[in-house]
This record gives sequence, structure tokens and C-alpha cells, in this order.
Amino acid sequence: MQPIWYLIKKEFKQVFRTREMLSIIFIAPMIQMLVLGFAISTEVKNVSLIIADFDRSRISREILQAFEHTDRFRVVGYETSYRGIETAIHRWHAQMAIIIPADFGRNLQRGLQPEVQVIVDGLDGNTAGVALGYASGIFQRFGEVWLQQRAVARAAAASPPGHRVVVEDRLWYNLDLKPEQYMIPGIVVVLVTIISMMLSAMSLVREKEIGTLEQLIVTPLKRYQLVLGKILPFLILTFIELGIVLMAAQLIFGIRIAGSYTLLAGLAFLYLFATLGLGILISTITHTQQQAMFVSWFFIVFMILMSGFFVPIENMPGVLQKVTYINPMRYFMYIMREIFQKGSSLQFLLKDWLPMTAFGLVIFTFSVLKFQKRLT
Amino acid sequence: MNSRKISVQTRDLTKRFGRFTAVNRVSLQVYEGEIFGFLGANGAGKTTLIRMLTGLLKPSEGEGFVAGYDIWRQAEAIKRHIGYMSQRFSLYEDLTAEENLTFYGGIYGLNRRDIENRKRELFAHVGLQPFANQMTRDLPLGFKQRLALACALLHDPPIVFLDEPTSGVDPRARRNFWNLIYQTAQLGKTVFVTTHFMDEAEYCHRVGIMHMGKIIALGAPGRLKQKYRKSTMQDVFIELHRLSEEQA
Repeated sequence: MQPIWYLIKKEFKQVFRTREMLSIIFIAPMIQMLVLGFAISTEVKNVSLIIADFDRSRISREILQAFEHTDRFRVVGYETSYRGIETAIHRWHAQMAIIIPADFGRNLQRGLQPEVQVIVDGLDGNTAGVALGYASGIFQRFGEVWLQQRAVARAAAASPPGHRVVVEDRLWYNLDLKPEQYMIPGIVVVLVTIISMMLSAMSLVREKEIGTLEQLIVTPLKRYQLVLGKILPFLILTFIELGIVLMAAQLIFGIRIAGSYTLLAGLAFLYLFATLGLGILISTITHTQQQAMFVSWFFIVFMILMSGFFVPIENMPGVLQKVTYINPMRYFMYIMREIFQKGSSLQFLLKDWLPMTAFGLVIFTFSVLKFQKRLT
Repeated sequence: MNSRKISVQTRDLTKRFGRFTAVNRVSLQVYEGEIFGFLGANGAGKTTLIRMLTGLLKPSEGEGFVAGYDIWRQAEAIKRHIGYMSQRFSLYEDLTAEENLTFYGGIYGLNRRDIENRKRELFAHVGLQPFANQMTRDLPLGFKQRLALACALLHDPPIVFLDEPTSGVDPRARRNFWNLIYQTAQLGKTVFVTTHFMDEAEYCHRVGIMHMGKIIALGAPGRLKQKYRKSTMQDVFIELHRLSEEQA
């Protein structure tokens, strides 16, 4: 055990003496988390809206006020002609236009069914769809309120109540549709992967590059001691990192974690077999730190894209969906989100952590065997 | 003729990389307490030979014994009995001189008290006390090489392999380093050293001259000079080269 202890002490001394290393480990992840956390958002806010009110009644003003008072929309102008609307959308001034025709208010009071036109710029399909959803929500609520008021007024007349099917939606797990609640756990997975895999690969290759690995090979150090001595420091660093980003997730983004920290840490440990194993594997096939960096990025980009971090796996073509099963990050991404949002249990996650661990152990064993304590 | 114990012995030791033969049937014996110099131009096969003897490379053919252990089957046992200083400086530049020694002490499994004692002895031996707490990267190359020697001697091995230990330093630092090699041999250690400086060959007890992977001369410097009727090892070396070119 003693030689391992000396290796770990040495590694920590080196890490804490190298400013670049420190910033890769502690500052870069914070920046990545802040930037990604705020930028990767499927939420639609501040849709620029243009209004053409040909009615100019009390009712049309009430509708428009509802649009002015939400941060979903930002009213950027009022138009009096269709041509003006066309130009505004064409020049990117507005993403949406609402046109209230003349006599809208009067027709509504007469009990007719007047129509309102909503035009949306469909270039960004996702935003357009969400914005349209918000807009119809506002109209619907307005309609309900208006009907109620009329009903109260006509209560004496005892008109039969209208039979309608009302959809009442409840969002589970992410009550206020906060995108961070979903994205941050994913970012944590990405950061943990980068730190454990890239740093362990780089650190081993660096010893190769400066010749100290050769020096270590001529000592009686056993292979398992050398591997553990190089791996454990990065295992420890990754857990420190995990602690920091989890804390930041709560303090900065106010993300709550539904499940248990112990379970999260335990499964993270199992996941790290895969990433640290890949780190060793990369160090055995590269000779310089640049090469190691390049190959690490190749792996990391593939792993992120195929993990369901950005694109849900169910949305991928069938063949690619199958490919994701060989991606350890896929499992941990799912596990992390489950524990964060739903507080899922070890048994429930069995179908994910079992293949993840199996994969990790295979990679780890293979890499350690490939890591020869001899040159060439 | 020689009743001393053998430290290093090879018989027809060969290393091929693909179709290229780096070391071609080398046979030699090195005795305990001897400074054995291994001479040759760059690419003659010196480093490859040392790497086979230290367990860094597996030989292709032939036999080799270091400190009585078989290089084929007992590489790990050999590692406890040898010190090795590689061709390029290979200690941690971002640790202090002392931290480097402590680290290797720990790697060799020395206990804390032994590490402290050995550090004191070795710093005195190589004359590095004033630099003990300096960052290794800030040391002049000559001192770095002394530090590397100290690291190689830390676990008190009976045999040390020094692969071009003096390349890149000025003549005065080279002379100082050779004084250290002498002192080391006086402690009863076998020193196996490679060099391409012919003046350094004069300091060795015996030398082997290598050319294209083969040993073309083996013996004490005085004997070789006598045999080829030259006054310096430099001239011997050039003469031998000429002869082997003629043969080829």
C-alpha cells in the first residue's frame, strides 16, 4: 500500500502546483455550468409580438393587456395594416402578430363566434409551437372569464349550463417547467466525465512524455500499484468536483434533488470505472498530451451526443438508438436525471446501473491489462 | 584470470525491431565493483542493450543475467537490485529535489526513517544540500543529473545503469560527475555506463565498443590502446570504425 500512498501524495502536489490544472478542475466547470445552465434552455420567453387592433373596443383592449402583462411576450409595436405586419416579420422585428378584426367586441357580445388571427414566424419551429401554445392559452382563459361574467349576469335568466370537456393539465416532477431542473443534472454528468477521463489520460501520458514512466517501470512497483496510484487521485478529484457542482446547482440554480445523495455517489463511483478505464485506454494508445486531449475529445463528444443530453434518445433513428447502449454515459445521464427529479431507487434503476457497471468493469479490466509495465 | 563475482552477464543477447537488428548477439561479463563503459555512436544499440538488462524491453533472443537473476523470467526481482538513470532527465520538474528523493524512496518501499537517512547521505554524496528545497526545474542541468544519480542510488542497489549520464553538460560538470561515479564504485557498486565521449572511456575499468549492434572490441582502455597502437581511446575508436567499415 505504501507506494500507492506516495504516488497519490505526489499527484496532488503536482495538481495543486499547476495553475492550468487547477483552473481545468475548479474554474472551468463552474463557468461551463453557469453558461450551459443558463444558455441551454428550451423555455420560450420574450417572444417579440406585434399587434394590429382593428376593433379598438373595451374587449380587444382587455385581450391585449393580457399579452402585455406576461413575460412570455414582449410587445414591440402596433400596426394598422397587413403590409406593416408582413414587413415586421420579414425583417425579424417580430416573431408573432395578433390581428383583432373590426367589430370583434360587438360580435362577441352578440353571441356570434368572431375570430382572431395569430401569425407566427415558423422558422424556429420549436419556439413557434411553444409561443402559439402560450397565445391560445391566453385566449382560452380570456374566453372562460368572459363566459363566467356573462353567466353571472344571466343567472336570473337560468340558462342551461354548457357541457364542455375541460382539459386540466398538471405537470409532474418539474412543476414550473424550469429547464434547468432537467439540464443541470445532465451538465453534472458531462463535467464528471470530462474531469475523470481526460485528466487521468493526460496525467498518464504526461509521465510517458517526460520520461518518468520509464523511470517508474524500472522500479519494483507492481502494475496494480502504478495504476491505482495514478487513478485514485483523479477519483478523489472527481468526487470533490461532483460535490462542488452539486452545491452550485442548489445555490445558484435552486435545483432540488429528490433522491438520495448516497445513492448518487455510489452510482457515480460505478460510472467512474468506465471513464477512468477509458482514460487509461487513451493513455496506452497515445504518446503526447495533445494526442491524448484530441482522442479524449473524440470520445467525449460521441458520448455526449449519444447520451440523450441534448437530443432525447427516443427521437433518434432506430439504429442510433441501439448504438447508445454501448455508451456508458447514456446510463448515467438517465440515472442522474431520475435521482434528481424523481428520487428513484436502486432497484428501479437496476436496468441502467447494471449494464453501466458491467461495461465499466470490462473497459477497466481491458485497459489495465493493456497498460503494460514494459516499453513497447 | 578473474575471480571476482559476476554482476552482469549476457550470451548472444539480441533485440530485433521488425527487420532491424538493434543489438546483435552481444556477449559480455561485468564484475562486481567495476566501472564498465559502453561506447558507441548514437544508434549503435547501447540504449537498447541497457533497456533489456533493466527489464524495460524483452529481448528477442539470447541470455542475460543481472545480479544473478534471469532477464527473461525474473525482471521484477532484477528491479530491486538495480538503479537506473535514463538517457534524458526524467524526474518530476514540479517537485523539489528533496520531494523527488522522498517519492522514489516511498516507491522502493523504504520506511520513513530510512528515507530521511538516505536523503541526508545522498545529498552529501552528490553535493546537493544547498538545493534540497529548490524546484527541480530551476536546477542547472549538471545538478539535475546529480539528483537523478541520487534517485538511482536511493535504495542502495548493487548495480547502477547510467545511460549517457553526462550528455548535454559542460566539461567541468562532466568531470565532477565522473568523480561521483568513482566514489560510487568505491562503495562496491557495479557501474554500467554508456557514453559517446571517448575521453570518458579513459576513466572506465573496462570498455565495450559497439558498432551497428555488435561489440567490436572489449577490454581495459590501456590494453586496447596497446593492441591498436594508439595513444588515446578516441584514436582507437576511429581505427576500429575504419576496420569494421573495411570488413563490410
